[in-house]
Amino acid sequence: MDIRYQVKGFFKKPHNIILFVVFILLCYLTLVPMVTMIHDTVTVHTAEAKRLKLPVGAFTFEHWRKVLADSSSINVFYKPFLNSLVTSLGACAIALGFGGAFAWFVTRTNMRWKRLLSSLCIFPYIMPSWTLALAWYNLFKNSLVGGSPGLISSITGIQTPNWLAYGPLPIALVTGLHYAPFAYIMIGGILRNMDANLEEAALMLNTSRLRIMYKITIPIVIPAVLSTFLLVFSSAMSSFAVPTFLGLPVRYQVLTTQLYRTLNGLNPGQGYVIASLMIILGVSILAMNQRIVGLRKTYTTVTGKSSNIALVNLKKMKTPVSLLIAFILFCVSIVPLLSFAIESLILRPGDYSFSNFTTQFWFGTAQQNSMANSEPGLLLNPKLYSSLWNSIKLSLFCAASAGTIGFLAGYAIVRGRGTKLATWVNNLAFFPYLMPSMAFSAIYLSMFAVRRGPIPALYGTFFLLVVAGTVKYLPFASRSGINAMFQLSKEIEEAGLIMGVGWFKRMTRLVIPIQKSSFISGYLLPFTSSMRELSLFILLMTPTNQVLTTLLFYYNEKGWNQYSNGINLLIVIIVIAFNFLINKVTGASIDKGIGG
Amino acid sequence: MPRIELIDVSKRFGKFVAVDLLNMVIEDGSFISLLGPSGCGKTTTLRMIAGLETPTEGRIIIDGKTVFDSKRQIDLSPAKRDIGFLFQNYALWPHMTVYQNIAFGLENLKWSKEDIRANVEKLLAMLRIDEFAARYPAELSGGQQQRVAIARTLATNPKVLLMDEPLSNLDAKLRMEMRTELKRLHVETGATFVYVTHDQLEAMTLSSKICLLDKGVLQQYDRPLGVYNKPVNTFTADFVGNPAINLLPVEVQSVKDGNVMLSNEAMHVSFKPTELFSVAKGEKVTLGLRPELISVTDASEYKVEVYSSLPSGMETIVRFKIGEAILNAVVFGSLDFPVGSSVGIHFTSDKLLVFHADGRLLGTGSVQHLTHRK
Repeated sequence: MDIRYQVKGFFKKPHNIILFVVFILLCYLTLVPMVTMIHDTVTVHTAEAKRLKLPVGAFTFEHWRKVLADSSSINVFYKPFLNSLVTSLGACAIALGFGGAFAWFVTRTNMRWKRLLSSLCIFPYIMPSWTLALAWYNLFKNSLVGGSPGLISSITGIQTPNWLAYGPLPIALVTGLHYAPFAYIMIGGILRNMDANLEEAALMLNTSRLRIMYKITIPIVIPAVLSTFLLVFSSAMSSFAVPTFLGLPVRYQVLTTQLYRTLNGLNPGQGYVIASLMIILGVSILAMNQRIVGLRKTYTTVTGKSSNIALVNLKKMKTPVSLLIAFILFCVSIVPLLSFAIESLILRPGDYSFSNFTTQFWFGTAQQNSMANSEPGLLLNPKLYSSLWNSIKLSLFCAASAGTIGFLAGYAIVRGRGTKLATWVNNLAFFPYLMPSMAFSAIYLSMFAVRRGPIPALYGTFFLLVVAGTVKYLPFASRSGINAMFQLSKEIEEAGLIMGVGWFKRMTRLVIPIQKSSFISGYLLPFTSSMRELSLFILLMTPTNQVLTTLLFYYNEKGWNQYSNGINLLIVIIVIAFNFLINKVTGASIDKGIGG
Repeated sequence: MPRIELIDVSKRFGKFVAVDLLNMVIEDGSFISLLGPSGCGKTTTLRMIAGLETPTEGRIIIDGKTVFDSKRQIDLSPAKRDIGFLFQNYALWPHMTVYQNIAFGLENLKWSKEDIRANVEKLLAMLRIDEFAARYPAELSGGQQQRVAIARTLATNPKVLLMDEPLSNLDAKLRMEMRTELKRLHVETGATFVYVTHDQLEAMTLSSKICLLDKGVLQQYDRPLGVYNKPVNTFTADFVGNPAINLLPVEVQSVKDGNVMLSNEAMHVSFKPTELFSVAKGEKVTLGLRPELISVTDASEYKVEVYSSLPSGMETIVRFKIGEAILNAVVFGSLDFPVGSSVGIHFTSDKLLVFHADGRLLGTGSVQHLTHRK
């Protein structure tokens, strides 16, 4: 058979056309930027030319040397790296401890209010990752590093020590608490689906509860635990906002804050080196996870028929334990919101007496707010509305393109399953998930900061934000597209094909209506993620196209507490409202997604 | 009326050969079964006829029109082949009612509303599902879904109906009923039916011809009774018939006066071939005995011990040992035999089979004497 005929036959199938187009697109948007960035780690940039005494664009290993093998490397890379490791490991321990314990209580004991507590538990995970950090800051900050004291210091009169207010402990704690619901979902899912007979069989043999726990229950959930561990670890490593709020006051640098500093400062080359190292780390962690998940299938018994195992009777402890858990959940899900509301309402920071309360940061005009740098109150503030509009616009665009490309890619990957091209597209579409957001935007910064061929310099444009968001959230959409298509037998489509129904009509009349809810969630996940995204956009942002999250960051950098707290409250409310809406409309809930 | 021709059709997935140089002519209006164990290439063959799978090589002609030719680079889309396809899982569209499912193909052909209505109603009546027109597939039982799937496939009035194990998801009783329906439909529509199944009984009872495949290679293409009575090799002999044929390894002791003396460690038989075939002394061959051709009779000198007995009312399967081999015999009538008791057996028919060591059929014949080996 000649090649021309083969090519013609190949492109006769719609899924092959999609695979081909998406492949080219993703190569350009993920692989090429990677290469560009690696090239940037060995190139002299304008900001560095004078110091390095080399012409701009010259080849140099100086950046790598500075980062890895210089007297300053300790501060540039190794210390932040170590700090990142410490806080991330701490966060994992806390997430697994809290999430795992809660999962066990819900699935294996007769605790009270399971349903209510279970939905309350998911709360911190829905909120932006820095929510708890900002709340912690509001409550525990002290005046030792300058600025006003927090709520606890003000009320008790005791200065909170620095180790409690800032640095590794609170960073690990709030990150851990943010991801605890994720651990709960993963481990709880296994515990719930685990065949109770496994434990009952041991019970028949007169094994003690404790022995059952560590001989049977724990080994079975171990793969889920490991997988949770790795995902939390890599998310914590790439978290930017939390260490910014809780680390910077005491100059506690982690990799992401260091990356932001170097890229925004005089050493972009070093920034790109750090970004490359972070990507290598991220990819290897998630590769490990893929392996574990692959292995897990071989021995996790999930049966639909599992009878209810006899729940551990907490007896007298039932109410106290339930109350304690309820209290903890109240602290991590409701208290932060109250704290934002309070902080946005007090006139002089640090003074929580009733007379100090004011609504001027919400409703005051620029003239009334002369003492607050003449910044009008949030609800009268054009900055708020323009960034809110930008946020929504950006999220809509990202959702529309990521959702559509993701769905098509998912469709084509499943239809073309087994071919090399499908495998490639599948991996490429998942690739952005492996990259820390900050490093990912560093890549785009590197790629699009200057004109390259027919593509003009895109830095500072809204379009670049859309492209970055689309590619970064593509994994969510393509995963849900793939899942949807796997659930739909191909015969459903073939039945239409045989009747002569064209491809477009097969999509719109058969495939999409049947998989409506997965299809919609492929759009909604990118939308909500983008609404609460900070680290992806912060590097690519210019003052003219602020979104809500970067505006929050801007106010925070300026130290205008009331505004940043107010905006944060707004973001949380919007995100929660959207999640509620999604839940109502599609029945899809966040615990069904792959998380992020 | 359509006739389907497959000429040197092959399908390879990478190195795996799913179908290997298949040649077959399906006459108009016939009812053909593609039969074989799972993975033998029968579904692949069906899907290649439909155009859902592209053959690696070969030619497919439907009704005189070449729909696929790897040499001339012809590959017609399924829609242009004038076929209907009935899927194993029915593939009903869950978001459409029964009526909409059946009407969809006609709407796509831009039929007028009234014509669609008339045609759908005719089909609903024909398959006795009129009362379910407004229901969704999920609200129907398996058998009802099956009827809807058939109605939907028939709606566009295809000249060829391809069916991929359509009855495998039904329970035994419904399956029996649907077999009757399918045979009736075949006559009513006058279309050519090509039917995939791994159930030999279904293939035997339904089809005018059976195409038996193994590992992608055509084994036998013949009328059902042809396959049953004169299987070309031990594979086809073993695949059709339930309980399965007894395949008894024996050795040729002598060839004398057209009689062949065969024996294993416990018996000698003198076998008289219907037509002469050549075997040599000392050659290892296989004796094929259908269970119903072994008669259990006290008149026989050859006694065996009953290994087990499985009465089912209409007939009883008696199992016994000859040497190391366990054989099945079917005895008609309500009988039972105590385990361990002694019964006499004889091979009575002239339809006994002898296979070469490599599996192919040497010939048929009858047994003159059956004696114990001393």
